[in-house]
Amino acid sequence: MPHSFIDNILLSRLGSLPIESRVPMMGNVAGKHRSPHRGSSVEFAEYRKYVPGDDTRRLDWKAFARSDRFYIKEFEADTNLRAYFVVDASGSMNFHSPGQETKIQYARRIASSLAYLLVNQGDAAGLSICTDKLYLEVPPSRRAAHLERFFTTLGKVEPSGETGLIEALHTIAEKISQRAFVVILSDFFTDTAALGDALQHLRYRKHDISLFHLMDPQEIGFNFDRPHRFVDLEDGTIIVAEPNLIADEYQTALKDFLISVRAKAHDAAADYQLVTTDRPLEPLLREFLTARIPKAKH
Amino acid sequence: MTFLSPFLLWFLAAASIPVIIHLLNKRRHKTIQWAAMQFLLKATRESRGKKKLRHILILTCRALGIAALAFAAARPVVSGLVGWGAGTIDTVVLVLDRSASMELRSGDGQATKRELVLQKVRDALTDLGNPRLVLLDSASGKAQEVPSPDILAEISSTAATHSTANFKTLMTTAAEYLSRSTGRSEIWLASDLQLSNWRPDDERWAAVRATLASLHQKCAVRILSLTGSAAPNVGLRLVGTRRLADGLLLDLELIRSEEDRGSISLPLTINTNGARSSETVILPGQSLRFQKRISLSESDATGHGWISIPADGNVRDNTAFFAYGPARSIKSLVVATPGEAGDYLSLAAAPPGFEKQSVERIDPAQFSNADTSNVAMILWASPLPVGANVQALERFLSSGGQVVFLPSETPSPESFLGMQWGPVTLAESGKFFILQDWNKTDGPLRDGIDGSPIPAERLRAIKRSSPTGDAAVLARWEDGETFLTRRIVDRGTLWFVSSIPDYTWSNLGDADVLLPLAQRILALGADRFDSSYLAEVGADGTNLLAGESRTRIDDYAAENSPYEAGVFRIGERLIAINRPLAENDLQIASKDNLDAMLEGTDYRLLDQAGQVGDSSLSTDMWRSFLLAVLFFLISEAILCLPIKSTATSQKLVAAK
Repeated sequence: MPHSFIDNILLSRLGSLPIESRVPMMGNVAGKHRSPHRGSSVEFAEYRKYVPGDDTRRLDWKAFARSDRFYIKEFEADTNLRAYFVVDASGSMNFHSPGQETKIQYARRIASSLAYLLVNQGDAAGLSICTDKLYLEVPPSRRAAHLERFFTTLGKVEPSGETGLIEALHTIAEKISQRAFVVILSDFFTDTAALGDALQHLRYRKHDISLFHLMDPQEIGFNFDRPHRFVDLEDGTIIVAEPNLIADEYQTALKDFLISVRAKAHDAAADYQLVTTDRPLEPLLREFLTARIPKAKH
Repeated sequence: MTFLSPFLLWFLAAASIPVIIHLLNKRRHKTIQWAAMQFLLKATRESRGKKKLRHILILTCRALGIAALAFAAARPVVSGLVGWGAGTIDTVVLVLDRSASMELRSGDGQATKRELVLQKVRDALTDLGNPRLVLLDSASGKAQEVPSPDILAEISSTAATHSTANFKTLMTTAAEYLSRSTGRSEIWLASDLQLSNWRPDDERWAAVRATLASLHQKCAVRILSLTGSAAPNVGLRLVGTRRLADGLLLDLELIRSEEDRGSISLPLTINTNGARSSETVILPGQSLRFQKRISLSESDATGHGWISIPADGNVRDNTAFFAYGPARSIKSLVVATPGEAGDYLSLAAAPPGFEKQSVERIDPAQFSNADTSNVAMILWASPLPVGANVQALERFLSSGGQVVFLPSETPSPESFLGMQWGPVTLAESGKFFILQDWNKTDGPLRDGIDGSPIPAERLRAIKRSSPTGDAAVLARWEDGETFLTRRIVDRGTLWFVSSIPDYTWSNLGDADVLLPLAQRILALGADRFDSSYLAEVGADGTNLLAGESRTRIDDYAAENSPYEAGVFRIGERLIAINRPLAENDLQIASKDNLDAMLEGTDYRLLDQAGQVGDSSLSTDMWRSFLLAVLFFLISEAILCLPIKSTATSQKLVAAK
């Protein structure tokens, strides 16, 4: 079943770029991502002294011949990655300025593209949708067939109500037992202090966090030429204002907010991307993925 | 301010358009679903004060810009005379100074002050929509209505004259005229502010102010001050004439404007009974007073003539006219108690051989009954007058008489016109008071016409009494004490001499000092009798009596108007009429003088009226209003510049 937010051409172009984890992952099966444990990959890790109980097959006999001591030769373990896409589906994500797509649609495109790339490289991708609470979850899976469920769920999301992103992040932090790659797609129109706490919670659980901060160009530019009656997409609050008169104050408040969100992301060692919905997706994802590739691998 | 197209002022209503658009815009808002509400709420809370003020200023600029455009279209005219606050004027009373000093040409030498101000008044009145114009000229002193300001310069009532002006009287006439008229009126005074024309010390200005204040509608007074730069000018005036046995002695004075410096040589043309001669006079400074003696034969019992200098900045002050007739006897009065002093004084007043001079000697007690109408000089060697004598002497002085006071043996505490005698002092034994310092160019001890000095140093005194009071000192003793003082009182002069011709006092009787002193003062006193041949323009003696006609008999010019200088035969009288001496007065009425004279009236002094470059008293103001439009539009544009918001937006985009 075709989905409007999946761009096959884009996916084929990005197919050569791997999605790397920036922290060691703890997967269930062998994969291409570093694990905190020693394993059986071909990459040498270290020597350590033999202790009773160690598998004698892993003794380095050549080292014993040279030093007359027993050493165990250890190798890096490679495991798979489990990614959780947390999509904010509050009412504010339904905003779009004339000629632009909604923020939720942009989020769908990012999440679906990254999920496809992850599954394609053998990693698992899961989905969490939150409105005023965490209400839809697709557990991570590596199977290709799982993607259809992922996309279908994503396509069904209808933004409404107030945001419950903070509670959702805390829930996810508690729920995911092993290290994972958590990708959050939201406009973060919430309390930034609470957001910082939630990110710190995820950080405490040693997850690799990426934030896609989605904003509409009009929300940043605030370019209006006449008085407007603004109706809140989340709670229906109405404000009649003359944008020309309040543009400066609006810009100042917005600037403070963006700086605050960026600072919270930085404090939690999260990867932060401020994205306007008029930005082409390919360069955005290419830049995102390239930045995650460890330098040594270049 | 008036408008040449007042109907266009209806467009002022268009100034409300920006406000109306603003209000409509406020109501015509568009509904939009919005996500970033938290910033909008915060911005709305914080957007107060400056922003609203800025918005109001923008609206104000737009409204004022349109209003200024409407004003410019209505062609506003602001008169330098009327000013901004004025509306429509119904009547303008133009008080025009036609005195001789108004004929001084402006700095460029093109037009006289009178011509210049007439032109400006005409333009101003045209710009103001031709209100009713009433002309009150200084020569006739009569108000007349002028049908159109265009003919102002052509009518005889604005022509040049040799007369003087009396603004106090003119203002009274103007106020009386306005008391009979209705509507909004103004008095415009066009004058060069010559102090002698205004006489600020005259107490009758209070009456003028009261008359102005009593007008049923408040009347504004605009003074067109014509005190701007002027062309170089030298004025010639005849101070007096004196008939001698074999000729005529003319006292002349050349006066130059204060700006001119250096010595100049002036050719003097003298015309006596049609015979012309010329000579050159050197004017070393600002003024020169000199005498010109004209020889007359026995047959020249009566005659006339004129003296002139070349035409310059003011052609009306370059000629002086004179006339003469049979010489009259000159009588002096010696008021002294019997004694040596009285004898010497009588001799000095009427020396032997001077048939035309006579003297009468009386006691002070008889003075109040004495007839002084034919007296030229009074020598008073008695205690200072008291009682009726004071009034009699003051009347004598006012009519042009000369009074010489000398001390008496009896000290008197009285004073006369603020002058008093000091104590009698005696010289040290074996020593004298010697006259040392006296004015050699002015006063009765001046050098002779040929330059020979008077031997005044021969005067010795052993007793003296110096005068005290406000008077000019003309001679001093060697110790600095005063010997001779002079004080001008109206047309006459008051003299004080500090010693008497008595051997117990001094050798004043030796005639070295007393004779020239008495004879020169006597000559001054005799001038008032020669005035029957000499008069000023506008003086009572120049008026025609019943049955008389006026004929000009000199060959200098042909004008025969009552305000012209010249030699005229009025009835049987021969009279030389000159412009008033005060017309050469260089003093200008100051702002303080005007404030004092017109205190309490709504008067405005316009200094620019006399400037050559300022061609009009009214200014078309539409350019200024267009500039105002430009200013408001630029201000609006600057206020509309989105300075801060653009910068913030750029920063946010850059942050991506």
